[in-house]
Amino acid sequence: MINQTTYVSRRGTFTGNSFARNRNTVRHTKRSLGSISQIVIVSMLTLVFGLIYVAEGTKATGFDYELSSVESEITEMNARLDDLAVEKARLTSVAAAKNSTVAAAMEDAVVTGYVAE
Amino acid sequence: MLPNKIELNRIKILKGIIFAALAIILVRLFFIQIVEHGDWVAKAEEQHTLLETITAKRGEIYMMDHGEPVAVVLNQTTYQIVIDPTVTKKEDIEKIISTYAKDYSTADLNEIYNQEGLRYSIVARNIPHSIAEQIVSSETPAIWLKKTNQRVYPEGELAANVLGFVNADGIGQYGVEGAMNDILAGKDGLLKTTADINKVALSIGNDNVKIPAEDGKNVILSIDRGFEQGVEELTKAALANSPATNAAVLAMDPNTGEVLAMANLPSYNPSDYGNVKDTSSYINYTTEVPYEPASVCKSFTFSAAINEGRMNPDTTYVNHGYEIIDNQTINNAEKRASLNGAISMRTALYWSLNTGSIHALKLLGNDTENITAEAREKLYDYYYNKFRLGQPTGIELYEAEGFVWDPHADIYGLNAAYANMTFGQNLSLTMIQVASAFSAVVNGGTYHAPTVVKGTKTAEQEILSNETSATMRSLLVNNRSNKVLRGIDRPGYSVGGKTGTAQVIKDGAYTMDEYVGSYAGFVGTNGELPKIVIMVKIWGEGQHIEGNKEPMSLFDSLSNYAIDYFKIKPGV
Repeated sequence: MINQTTYVSRRGTFTGNSFARNRNTVRHTKRSLGSISQIVIVSMLTLVFGLIYVAEGTKATGFDYELSSVESEITEMNARLDDLAVEKARLTSVAAAKNSTVAAAMEDAVVTGYVAE
Repeated sequence: MLPNKIELNRIKILKGIIFAALAIILVRLFFIQIVEHGDWVAKAEEQHTLLETITAKRGEIYMMDHGEPVAVVLNQTTYQIVIDPTVTKKEDIEKIISTYAKDYSTADLNEIYNQEGLRYSIVARNIPHSIAEQIVSSETPAIWLKKTNQRVYPEGELAANVLGFVNADGIGQYGVEGAMNDILAGKDGLLKTTADINKVALSIGNDNVKIPAEDGKNVILSIDRGFEQGVEELTKAALANSPATNAAVLAMDPNTGEVLAMANLPSYNPSDYGNVKDTSSYINYTTEVPYEPASVCKSFTFSAAINEGRMNPDTTYVNHGYEIIDNQTINNAEKRASLNGAISMRTALYWSLNTGSIHALKLLGNDTENITAEAREKLYDYYYNKFRLGQPTGIELYEAEGFVWDPHADIYGLNAAYANMTFGQNLSLTMIQVASAFSAVVNGGTYHAPTVVKGTKTAEQEILSNETSATMRSLLVNNRSNKVLRGIDRPGYSVGGKTGTAQVIKDGAYTMDEYVGSYAGFVGTNGELPKIVIMVKIWGEGQHIEGNKEPMSLFDSLSNYAIDYFKIKPGV
């Protein structure tokens, strides 16, 4: 009589509702943050966006102040330019020239030549 | 148990108070946010919005000076010192004024500090930027500098009546400032933007508006500054040696219509226009006041008759010394007996005989005895349509229209009126009209509309033949033959002119108590077209100013001055 042994894979069968030995099992469950974490993250994001907004706003306003300062400088320079133009016009005015000591020392002009045509 | 009950009551009361307070706050918030929403938004906008006018820069005015433009009217930013007497210490402001702004002080500090309740006072004006900077750097508390724009006239009284001035509202008055105000003023812009507490404009916000200002245009006048100065000085000297009180002189280039000088005396300083006692000083008499230029107009009547081929300088007529027209006797001013009888039109013009110009009018109607309708129509055609007398010339200044009679006017004595018009009375013309027409008489026959703006190409029209113009030049030169003999008119130059002496209308009738003297003449190289036309008018209340006296004498000086100033070469 042949002594026959029958190998039965323990992995090959699955019976009923019971778990087999050495069988790997995976349990799929949804992972979620806790409520406190959510609050922290939302707060952080809000803070970050707020800071970005404030930074951009401040940057724009900073440019405005710079622009205002440049414009003030331009206005001041223009005022100085006008002052110089007025001073030049006063110094070269006919009345100023006539009343100058240089003019007083001059002799009367005589016609010395004529413009060629 | 009793203490607990009391504690409970206290808590209830506290709760009640807190709820009541909250209720009050809620009600107030409701009113602020709902009921008064609009008002609070407006207040917030007012605080955060900067709304200001961007002032356009007024254009500058230039004159020519030997071919180069020079600024004669400019703008300057100046400052006013403003104080609040309840805050500003008197000694502080006294120190500031005595140190920096003595010349600009406009108020009596004692008077200001003695007034009760005064919170605002301007104590100095027109302070230049450089001095304002020093005042700011002195860091004196409780004084404020207010920025203003000032119009500056560095030439003082020079050509003041041509330039005009700008009033406190920034609007041009009189002269170029007034007549060309729209061009000079430009267009103000607008800035509406969100601003910070210091009113610095910020780019945040959705309703920001910036409309840039359009600056006014600069104007370059054809008037020559140096020549104008010389003309004014000579005119001033002439007036000083005369009983007259007023004078006006106009010089122009007859070949382009460009005005080279416009003098009016007495004048004023446009920077100080507010202190002028007699506002008639603002008037430019060369364009704004029509008058009767008298015998200067004989040049136009003679031109018309010669151009129509009805007469020449040798045409003769019989002079009786007077003419009776429409029952009115018109006399010659020159009554010497040697002129009675048959004389030439050349002689009539030389002696400025009214009978001569009346005869020219008769000839225009192809008649030697009567003034016909055709004669009136012809004269009107020349006076009004060709010489453009009695109508605005279009010059860029305020100007009067003037008046000449219509040839078919329904009035008694129309022929007498026309007879008077031949020698420049019974009509009303401005100097600019007369000088422009006179230019056409002597420049070869082309009428150029006058202009004071350099580079303006004005309308022109051939109104007389070259031959007529040449004949008129020779007649006008002949008028000054004694000036050549006396050495007043230099050899090598062609100088001609015509006097005018007009009675003045007072209370609706001509008076014998006052005459206005005029002179229109030209100067140029002998054998060439004239270079300059000069017209002079001198007058004074109750004065007898005759054209052949002060006005002609002033023209003598001016014509020689023009030769020297413009270096007009002599001819052969």
